[in-house]
Amino acid sequence: MSDESKSSRPPAADSEPTASRSTLPVWIMVLTLVLLFLGAVYFDRHSGWFNRQVYAPYTSADQLAASQPRSGAASALAQGRKIYENACGVCHGNDGLGKPGQAPPLAGSEWVAKDVVSLARVPLAGLNGPIQVKGRDWNLAMAPMGAGMSDADLAAVLTCIRQSWGNTGGVVAADEIKAARAAINGQAPTPAQLAQMTPVERGRAVFQKYGCYQCHGQDAKGGVANPNAKTAEQVPSLIYVADGYTREELITFIKKGERDIPRMNPAGPEPPHFMPKWGPVIQDAELDDLATYLFSLKPKGENVGF
Amino acid sequence: MAALVLFGAGVACAEDQQLDAATKARIDKYEQGPATVDVSQYPQVIQDNYEVFSQKCTQCHKLSRPINSDYALPDEWSRYVKRMMHKPGSGIDGSDGKKIYEFLVYDSSVRKKAMLDDKLAKLSAEDKAAAEAKVKEVHDKYDRK
Repeated sequence: MSDESKSSRPPAADSEPTASRSTLPVWIMVLTLVLLFLGAVYFDRHSGWFNRQVYAPYTSADQLAASQPRSGAASALAQGRKIYENACGVCHGNDGLGKPGQAPPLAGSEWVAKDVVSLARVPLAGLNGPIQVKGRDWNLAMAPMGAGMSDADLAAVLTCIRQSWGNTGGVVAADEIKAARAAINGQAPTPAQLAQMTPVERGRAVFQKYGCYQCHGQDAKGGVANPNAKTAEQVPSLIYVADGYTREELITFIKKGERDIPRMNPAGPEPPHFMPKWGPVIQDAELDDLATYLFSLKPKGENVGF
Repeated sequence: MAALVLFGAGVACAEDQQLDAATKARIDKYEQGPATVDVSQYPQVIQDNYEVFSQKCTQCHKLSRPINSDYALPDEWSRYVKRMMHKPGSGIDGSDGKKIYEFLVYDSSVRKKAMLDDKLAKLSAEDKAAAEAKVKEVHDKYDRK
């Protein structure tokens, strides 16, 4: 079309409207593609491929089935998983990746790959740092969280740890835990010995058995450093609990624990040590003896006059 | 991916939130109450003790927590003050503790009289007599003759 023919046209106002053939704007095409893509992703995540029994967060019938309790080995693993999340996951993370300042990772840890007795020693006897895990230094203390678990439960937890998050260890049998316990608790009093003891002596054995001394000190006079804890950056002494608690209050406190330790500097980091929830771990009769032992620690003749 | 990250963060928060709900609700209720006590009618020494109480106890918690709590018996206050006093770094020594205890017992017998009487009525005769003796001891010591 030449310039002449254009200029010879009549004014635009009188002309017939004509359909233009301009192309679709690029941004609409991109938006459509993005929406389609997101829609497909959503569909992929949530539809369960039209199976009406599948719903978020599950994405397929297989995945749903895998999370159902099963008989035999599978149910032991599920049981171990449950106990893990209750007792271990708070610090080690439900993803097994650990938490800085609280607990090292279990995923890919060389400690998990050790033999059963070495591995079982950690939950049975506790562990005091410094140690190395995956090439990094960790200087923390862990209480013997597994000391009060049954052989079967602890075996299930260790099996779960050995077979989760990319770990490829074997199944741990309850008998192996029994043997490990015997190897580790060589000096622990036998039931016959316990029957001969006074409540205070039995309570002291409980204090040892569950590793209370690891944080509160061998003589319960207070113990390990707990950076940024409001309590003068240390784990408190227990020798005055007779003054501050009734028996019921003390036992309730031990059972519930205290997850959130007040911080000395509110903007500072979380103190690494806290009082675990012992309710599911220590037996009721043991708690009673433990309280008797702790009450016996009050220094004789000390009286503040109220 | 973002959804996964958000989900993970949610799980982490839920894990950390392990405060016993009943205790937390109880403390919240107390802390919402009045944060001061009108001590102008109390004996001078008890007013001084109130100052110690305000200064020491607010290091760790709001004053409204003990002021509005359901403790009223001398033994409850003795236990609570000693529990706080023996925390490492509390900065409360035996004589401070006693001042705080005396203020709280005196205050409970005046401001929380109904609650105290109610609690006394539920005690055994022996415990009731012992508790009343402790309240009386503080009053005898400081009330203007």
